[in-house]
Amino acid sequence: MAGFLGAADLQVSLYLFPLAAVISLVYSASRYELTDKILVRAFKLFCQIVGFMGMVFAVLWFFSLGM
Amino acid sequence: MPLESSSQRRRPWEEKNPLIAGVLAYLIPGAGHLYQGRWFKGIVYFVCILGTFFGGMKLGEGAVVYHLPNNRFGISLNYLAQVCVGMPALPAIYQAKRAKEGSNQPVRELNAPLETPFIGQLVTYGPGEETVSGELIGTVELKTSFSGSFPETAGVFRGTMNGQQTELQLSGGLMIERPISAGFERPLECMVSRKLDQHPHESQAIRGTIPRALVDAYCAPPDPNKIKDLHGRLGKFYDLAIAFTMIAGLLNVLAVWDAIEGPAYGFGDEEAPDESSSKEPSSAAETPAKSEAKPLAAKA
Repeated sequence: MAGFLGAADLQVSLYLFPLAAVISLVYSASRYELTDKILVRAFKLFCQIVGFMGMVFAVLWFFSLGM
Repeated sequence: MPLESSSQRRRPWEEKNPLIAGVLAYLIPGAGHLYQGRWFKGIVYFVCILGTFFGGMKLGEGAVVYHLPNNRFGISLNYLAQVCVGMPALPAIYQAKRAKEGSNQPVRELNAPLETPFIGQLVTYGPGEETVSGELIGTVELKTSFSGSFPETAGVFRGTMNGQQTELQLSGGLMIERPISAGFERPLECMVSRKLDQHPHESQAIRGTIPRALVDAYCAPPDPNKIKDLHGRLGKFYDLAIAFTMIAGLLNVLAVWDAIEGPAYGFGDEEAPDESSSKEPSSAAETPAKSEAKPLAAKA
């Protein structure tokens, strides 16, 4: 894992979590008016974004095995 | 079950002047919504968008938002996205003009005495080599006077070298980066006065940075060397910082749109359309995006 993702890369990746949270919240706020709906949709979108990034990471990690 | 139907609800974005709301939302993210009385959204936009923008600025050491007109489009794509964040990015246009002025040149002699905090190194130059003799933290006092017809800058550094109190007499070789440029640190270099016992081929200089005024640094275009330095030191973080500020600008487009037109999908608790009255009941029920888009059509 350390070979695949260096310390600097890992630190850069950590910045993507607050960025994903901000994008989810602002996007959802621009779609709906009710506070509850905004928060629920933002949470779901955040999970989708992080899940998608995780999936891409897993695929890249798999194909980089042995490199 | 909603307490009232969406048609009976107040539509705050329609109660106030949409033009004023849009302009306010552009200038300060969230301000348009606060003007409309939409406090939650106003605070969300304000905190999220400005937090992302200034977070990016901090990450890129203040040298990520600037306006360097592109010959082809007249504006760089970076700045085109960043300027959507409104007032926080607008000073870049004025700073670009100030930075171009002829008077904005590296300083080699001073018009007035300078006394400022300094952080840097004492560098020793020998024949063909350069070594760092110590880390300096303190203040520099410099003054340019005319001896004959030549200006001569001299002064003193007072502070610590490697944690120990020290005082260095400075004389000549002054170079301070131009006053209006990106970054809150301004490089300064000045020669140290020669000592009697010093080797004839050896000389010393202090090299470091002094603070740059906020009005001269904020959104000012950086020197090419500064960009190289940032890329070298920050690596991917510099690109990430630019991305943060660009994303903040693009997110504000959504906020401005919301201030003018209201939320894209309505309030969010509208009942799904009656399946029996729909022409494609199965697809409408199965696809959330379609059921969410219905209120928009109803609103229009």
